[in-house]
Amino acid sequence: MIGTPLDLIVMIAYFVLVVGFGVYFGKYSSTTKDFYFGGQRFAWWVIAFSATATTVGSYSFVKYSAAGYNYGLSSTQSYLNDWFWVPILLLIWLPIIYFQRIQSVPEYFERRFSKTTRLVATVIILIYLVGYVGINLLTLGQALHTMLGWSVFAGASLACVAVTFYVFAGGQTSVIMTDLVQGITLLIVGVGIFLAGVAHFGGFVDWWALMPESHRYIFSEFNKPDKFSFIGVYGQDGLANTGAFVLMNQGIIMRFLALRSVKDARKMSICWILVLAPLAAITVSGGGWIAKALVENGEMETTANDAFIHAAHFLCSPGIFGFVLAALMAALMSTADTLINASSAVFVNDVYRPYVRKEAHDTHYLKVARISSLSVAAIGLMLVPLFDGETVYQAHAKFTAAITPPIVVAILLGILWKRFNTPAALAAMVGGGALVFLSTFSPFDDIFLKPLAFGMGEGSYKFIRAVFGLLVSGGLGIVVALATRPQPLESIAGLITGTQLQAMEFFKGGPLNRREGEVVYVPVQTDTSLSGDETVLVSTAHMKTLAADVGDLLYVCDRRWWFGGLRSFHTKAMEGGPGETLRLSPEAMDRGHFQDGDVVYMEKQF
Amino acid sequence: MVDMARVWPILCQFGIGGLLCIVGVWAGLSSGYLDMNLKDDRRLIAVIVGGFVGLLVLSCAFTFWLPFVGGGDAS
Repeated sequence: MIGTPLDLIVMIAYFVLVVGFGVYFGKYSSTTKDFYFGGQRFAWWVIAFSATATTVGSYSFVKYSAAGYNYGLSSTQSYLNDWFWVPILLLIWLPIIYFQRIQSVPEYFERRFSKTTRLVATVIILIYLVGYVGINLLTLGQALHTMLGWSVFAGASLACVAVTFYVFAGGQTSVIMTDLVQGITLLIVGVGIFLAGVAHFGGFVDWWALMPESHRYIFSEFNKPDKFSFIGVYGQDGLANTGAFVLMNQGIIMRFLALRSVKDARKMSICWILVLAPLAAITVSGGGWIAKALVENGEMETTANDAFIHAAHFLCSPGIFGFVLAALMAALMSTADTLINASSAVFVNDVYRPYVRKEAHDTHYLKVARISSLSVAAIGLMLVPLFDGETVYQAHAKFTAAITPPIVVAILLGILWKRFNTPAALAAMVGGGALVFLSTFSPFDDIFLKPLAFGMGEGSYKFIRAVFGLLVSGGLGIVVALATRPQPLESIAGLITGTQLQAMEFFKGGPLNRREGEVVYVPVQTDTSLSGDETVLVSTAHMKTLAADVGDLLYVCDRRWWFGGLRSFHTKAMEGGPGETLRLSPEAMDRGHFQDGDVVYMEKQF
Repeated sequence: MVDMARVWPILCQFGIGGLLCIVGVWAGLSSGYLDMNLKDDRRLIAVIVGGFVGLLVLSCAFTFWLPFVGGGDAS
């Protein structure tokens, strides 16, 4: 066991606090839209912090601290790629999925291509997601084994029950709110350890002087070392994985769809990628950098894989170290909860609804959503003993490596190129995936990967495989698209670049109003003569300030920013004549969690 | 003498990254989704360019300057 009983108490208290926090927010989930998309009402800063927690995965502290210890600052090079994908995310992909009300990646495949393509994507993504639930629970169990000496399965079971408990209660709302807390915890602890280490050496200059020169570069050398060359890491992380992260990661897509508006998605992306992601890079790598300096200074001995935990143990007093253990747990739990919720969303949206029960009341689907969350967690838990052996774990890693580049290519070409059609998407996904899978076996690895390895050896193949996957899937898709007939343009309107405005009109159900207006602050008042979830009457003066016309989309939110959008809802503008208040139906008051006299702010969307 | 093994990563990262950015911005502008008459849309373009330049400056600083500050060997 690492740490003292006091550390254990701190960690358990954190654990209980997070689960309780998650369960509390279950009261905000009364529909499937709440359960999967948090009611589409969250503010950008809530989602930015929660997404940061989600992306700092269960293995991040070990993996990046080890890389930081071995290679220095270049351990952060994976975090420098995200910005370049932001324009494609914000200006093409997000408007399409948000305004077309697409709930999952496979659903996009059916709308853009065909039912068969959706089925292929559903099977691939479910195996990928549920496998990752298992891997995350295994990592949770292994962490608790290291920290507390419990058996891996017992630790995984306990963590699984805890995470599933709040996911079951509140779905995405609970996931977002717990991940908000966990994101803040992670960043404080990770950056805190780095700064404590720097202070230990006497400041940045002294710490920097202890770092070997080879550890001070932000990028590795272009084609060496084999296992951490720039081109290998860039091909795998910068192109395939970041592309997958932005385009096909169901958990992240659901997080974007939980935002109150596409405008907030812009703020969220900027805050997340330019501010929080660099802090997250320091959080997960900083322990390795400090450990390296401590070793260079003759103060500590460690291995790369233990660099974070040894550096933290060296720097922290009892009790404080408990927060470090809690941060590790936060990283583990915040990824597992997102994966469980995302797997459940794909199951309900892409399996249950189209194949089992097409038309049912929302309460039925909400019940299925909760049951499927439990089922996904149970299947993930059953995978833990299997993943504990290398064979199945490696098989899942090979599967993930094989499917990621083809799906990224299929989505990217699907949104960018109107000529890209169903046979091309299937060729890219199935044909490309099969060739990448083949490249994991000898002698095909040499045949396929050596020509792309820039003179590097077999150690680089794991990374170069992603480059091969992108090239071969893209090549197959383009050739097949050119050799077959394109789909009619009207069938892909709103699903491809050039038609984002049509997607917006679809979302609104009418013509767009893009005149710039101002935000209005106004008290709310119940009007019992009105009825309906989204019925509000806006005074003529306020309509003018908002630059809104009747039927425009409005967002109404409690003015207290710290609610992060929890007390809010979307509605359509209805003009209510003179007056100084916003009149809401009793149902709309409930929907927004408002009380008479609360001051809300109101903005026009379009 | 500039070590090209250190220069190629920057060219690659910001070359391909620049292309991705151009594709995204072009798609936004050509579709009319980005409207240069709107303050928010103009700000977004500025932030995209600013983020790109900021990352480029950071990368260059940690490649050509800071590794040699504080006792490192110039190469």
